[in-house]
Amino acid sequence: MIANLPPGLLMIVGAALIPCLSRRAQSSAVLLLCLASFGLFLLLPEGENWRFTWLGVELTLVRIDTLSRIFGIVFHLAVILSSIYALHVRDTRQHTSALVYAGAAIGACCAKDLLTLFVYWELTAISSVFLVWASDSERSFRSGMRYLIIQVSSGVLLLSGAIVHLLQSGNVQFESFVVAGQPLSLAGMLILLAVGIKCAFPLLHNWLQDAYPEATPTGTVVLSAFTTKLAVYALIRGFSGYDLLVPIGCIMTLFPIVFAVIENDLRRVLAYSLNNQLGFMVVGVGIGTELAINGAVAHAFCHIIYKSLLFMSMGAVLYRVGTTKATELGGLHKSMPWTTIFCLIGAGAISGFPLLSGFVSKSMILTAAAEEHHFLVWIVLLIASAGVMEHSGIKIPFFAFFAHDSGKRVPEAPWNMLTAMAIAALFCIGLGVAYPLLYRMLPFEVDYHPFTVTHVVTQLQLLTFALLAFVALVKSGLYPDEVRSTNLDTDWFYRRLAPAVVNGLRMTYRTVNDTFRSDVITIVDGAMKQTKATFNDKGLFGGTWSTSVMTFLATVLLAVCLILYYL
Amino acid sequence: MNDLQDKHPDGGDQQSWFERPENVNRLIGGLLGVCVALVLADLFYSNPHPHFSIETSFGFQAWFGFVAFVVIVFLGRLLRVIVRRPEDYYDR
Repeated sequence: MIANLPPGLLMIVGAALIPCLSRRAQSSAVLLLCLASFGLFLLLPEGENWRFTWLGVELTLVRIDTLSRIFGIVFHLAVILSSIYALHVRDTRQHTSALVYAGAAIGACCAKDLLTLFVYWELTAISSVFLVWASDSERSFRSGMRYLIIQVSSGVLLLSGAIVHLLQSGNVQFESFVVAGQPLSLAGMLILLAVGIKCAFPLLHNWLQDAYPEATPTGTVVLSAFTTKLAVYALIRGFSGYDLLVPIGCIMTLFPIVFAVIENDLRRVLAYSLNNQLGFMVVGVGIGTELAINGAVAHAFCHIIYKSLLFMSMGAVLYRVGTTKATELGGLHKSMPWTTIFCLIGAGAISGFPLLSGFVSKSMILTAAAEEHHFLVWIVLLIASAGVMEHSGIKIPFFAFFAHDSGKRVPEAPWNMLTAMAIAALFCIGLGVAYPLLYRMLPFEVDYHPFTVTHVVTQLQLLTFALLAFVALVKSGLYPDEVRSTNLDTDWFYRRLAPAVVNGLRMTYRTVNDTFRSDVITIVDGAMKQTKATFNDKGLFGGTWSTSVMTFLATVLLAVCLILYYL
Repeated sequence: MNDLQDKHPDGGDQQSWFERPENVNRLIGGLLGVCVALVLADLFYSNPHPHFSIETSFGFQAWFGFVAFVVIVFLGRLLRVIVRRPEDYYDR
């Protein structure tokens, strides 16, 4: 029985028991639960399970196929890594919410119907916000609120889409919405919008850069893995080959890299970088060929691990130094040598250096674009690759661990953080070297060989010359200095513009009210008095008239009629 | 690892291997060497499955990487002019 539990449920139910344990035992219990859940997940056979009918709608809680399997595996790996990373944390809130969050994400990628997906979808939103709030500051509270509103709206859109789909087709199975040669159905559009919010599509993206850097050092690591990659999973499941995703993905790869250049908070730089990496996956889903989908899935897999590693290294810096602002960091390689090494491995992996994981996954998407003769897309992805080298490959490690010495001397990260980073770094190397193991798990058969002379040489050319450009710009003083600043993004519209408009309306109302209120009241009062006087029992209309007056008036009326008749 | 613990000869604050100017120059020299070698490597192989003609031109991804990087950084400087606000902008 327990072996057939829906994936993730063990973690969600287990999370309820975590508060009963002593604070010391909680973090180990979280790790044990994650490991147990992973074991059970690996034993689950392919196929569908937990099927029943509810209110006349057929629900299927569990669908295990190659796609949900690989996402389930990497989600489990991510939560295991982050719970090792959080072993030192003594905060019931964070442990509980991280468990529920990860469990919900795993459940969501194994759900076969849209209603089950919706339940898990909202659960990820509600549970994850506590990781932001756990920072216990006014700033993080407000940021978390914005995050929650946006995430819950995404869920509402998903539910609307599911209901429309139910009305149109009579079922709520989550299958592809893309029909060749036809525009998306209304249900498809609603669901794409819901997924687009979670996937941080351009203009819908800013919750990511807003909330993730405000979470706790360990919280951001958990956050970085699930929500957005769940959205990538949903895109692959529902919108493979939807053309519009290609330009959307291209924009996603480009604009965040420019913001990342000037961002001072290194965890926010990583959030922009995450957005850019999602762009690669969205392009892959949009192209929709077997190679492209394989590339998107492989890239999501590798990305979850190296992005966790990068967030872990910055989390360690935040934990020890108390800030991740580039202006206040520098020279940390002397006091945190191991963190530096692990960060460099993560930076190399995301940039796509040969023998590291990014090299074997990102290139599948580029090759898929080239094979479909999307020249412009291919060029955009090349530019984006140089951009990745800029913000994640160079900026993160350089400004945190090298650059000018900040004079800060802190202890190395705690042993559990180092262990988690070491395992993640090993995965980055392992996936880059033993890539056939990854390829074997992909949804389609792979006929792709990353280690060709051409690929290795051209990729190294791109990366080393990008590095050379960095050296040249820094040496010539053209590289923009890190400055303490807030950079406006789309959040400006709802944090500044919308309140300003509302305030303006309120002010206008107040002015009008103050100026004209008494005049209007006088006029209305006068009219009321006049009306009362006219219609009361002594007034012109309200009072009773004598019979003689009435007779006289009737005679006059008849006389007027007579005269008019003869005229 | 030992390099990282080395004391600066002046006995002042620790200066690591990476911070000594001569080593920085060595690293940059090494990078230049690698760059030249990688461009020259283009002479010794041919791309068996080019998708676009530009892929086979000499040192394409080298100059492209350099130019793209510079353009991105300058776009960043341009963007900063537009979007930069004081750090406490939203807290006021």
